[in-house]
Amino acid sequence: MEQITLALAKGRPAKKTITLLEKTGEHFPELTEESRKLVFHNSDQSIKLIFVKAVDVPTYVEKGAADIGIVGKDNILESLADVYELLDLKIGKCKFSVAGKANHYPADNQKLTIATKYPNVAKKHFKQKGQPIEIVKLNGSVELAPLIGLADYIVDIVETGDTLKENGLSILEDIETISTRLIVNKASFATKAAEVNQFIKQLKSALE
Amino acid sequence: MQKYVLSQNKNSNVEDFQMREQLITTFKNRFTTYGYKQVRTSTFEQYDMYGSITGTVNKDEMIKVIDTSGKVLVLRPDVTIPLARMNTATTNQRLFYVLDVFRQSIEQIDQKESTQAGVELFGDNSLEADAEVIVLAIHTLRDLGFTNFKIELGHAGFFKELVQQADLNQSQLETLKTYIHSKNLVEIEPFLNELRLADDLRNAIQLIPMMYGNPGDVITQAKQIILNASMQQVLQNIIDVYDVLVDYGVADSIVLNLGLINNMDYYSGIIFQGFLDNVGKPVLMGGRYDHLGKQFGKATPAIGFAFEVDYLVHALNQQGKAIVESGIDLIINYDKAKQKVALESAYQLRNEGLQVLTYLFDEKDTNRPPSTYIVNYTNDEQQLIIENKTITFASVNELVSQCLAVKEAK
Repeated sequence: MEQITLALAKGRPAKKTITLLEKTGEHFPELTEESRKLVFHNSDQSIKLIFVKAVDVPTYVEKGAADIGIVGKDNILESLADVYELLDLKIGKCKFSVAGKANHYPADNQKLTIATKYPNVAKKHFKQKGQPIEIVKLNGSVELAPLIGLADYIVDIVETGDTLKENGLSILEDIETISTRLIVNKASFATKAAEVNQFIKQLKSALE
Repeated sequence: MQKYVLSQNKNSNVEDFQMREQLITTFKNRFTTYGYKQVRTSTFEQYDMYGSITGTVNKDEMIKVIDTSGKVLVLRPDVTIPLARMNTATTNQRLFYVLDVFRQSIEQIDQKESTQAGVELFGDNSLEADAEVIVLAIHTLRDLGFTNFKIELGHAGFFKELVQQADLNQSQLETLKTYIHSKNLVEIEPFLNELRLADDLRNAIQLIPMMYGNPGDVITQAKQIILNASMQQVLQNIIDVYDVLVDYGVADSIVLNLGLINNMDYYSGIIFQGFLDNVGKPVLMGGRYDHLGKQFGKATPAIGFAFEVDYLVHALNQQGKAIVESGIDLIINYDKAKQKVALESAYQLRNEGLQVLTYLFDEKDTNRPPSTYIVNYTNDEQQLIIENKTITFASVNELVSQCLAVKEAK
């Protein structure tokens, strides 16, 4: 059997995935909470685990640097990566929404300014609606943008809606739901079919 | 001084270029053994030609130029279409090309050109032709030293036939294609449920992404979702082509992928793409396009494929298979007094096909490329040095035969 490389996003989804993997009998002896290493192997060396930034997981997988990735749908959508998306791990559930100030009414047919960390997602959504927009790409505290007049609306991930509420924003519409997905490189799916399918099967059984 | 960053695209250094040339030589040799003749198409093509043909290159991706008469031209965005237009043969014709194609996209602004090496077989719509073209792709990959690769075999008609029955609008069709393309089983199910299709049709579409893998298994699965005679025909076509491939002895390299949808809508029959270990994108794509010719006024059955040369170069580099010789065969050092005999031997050796550089003796000059042999013509003696062994020789002829003997032995 050939070794497969698994890219995980640091943080909560990684922890849950590793718990799932341990349930299926795959252990990563060197992996501990405090470890700052980025590469780990399981006991029989059949899986190489690498930790990368969530937004980079689709890139690693698309380019074949990792065979399999586990990452939020938000990052997959934003990256426009050409990969297979084979499994929903049903963790990290949230949604993409458009939000704004409650009493903000831009004139009809006006170009809207949208602040977001996810320009591709925002563009695609408003293009489908036929609404011209201008994107302001931000890297954090997106909720601030409508409050200080930087943007009409924001497109962002909403989990509980508390952050929006506390900042006086409300959801205008939902774009789509998000959860953690398993993605696979298209070449690996062809050339390492047995290993990849075995891994997916294991993970699936752990999910049930 | 202003510094210009060279595009890292390709051909930017000598080693890369050498490797590309080796690759291209391999293509030429192999394509020729299957009876293909090399052609080239114009770098500039009519924008209108691409514009008027449905299902080809995205118009935004073409690089346009306006000539002095105001006509819009594009830099060759693809080779298949001009070849299909050019082809006037009534009997079957086998053509191959190694050409640069030009496209631009917002995502990859730095990559406007890439090299394609491909073949087109016109005038033969037999399944034996389908199989032969696929075998040629496999044969070439083997020539390049790749062992772990897979050719995904599908059929343009399978998906088209199912979708026709579903009667989707353009945006629904795009969404469905995206889901099938990414084998997104999670989202395809609710999407199809919402469309309110007949049960057997919905079930069939939903199963398409997973119709993948071992040909025997996939064929068994596919038989269960056949809805009508034309789907039956499509499946039979795949089975027949696969059977020929089995007789060619390449079954190990084939997987079926009925969820394979090519972005080029002109494909009408068998379609296929090839994947190498660790290269995320297909290194080759191709298929049968029997109706493209019709758009130029003459329907000719045709099948072809193209390699993405840049991906192959990348793969060879990555797998450490790249063999590039940086040195040369022979260096001749000589004293001025021996100039005549030194230059004469250089000429003779070059005539025999050896790579030769000549230098006047100069102690200070140490900046010389590595070479297999060194020849020294000093005022007192003449010697040939091979791997620390010194051999003396009497005449130019003797030197030439010594060098050739060593080269032969290697």
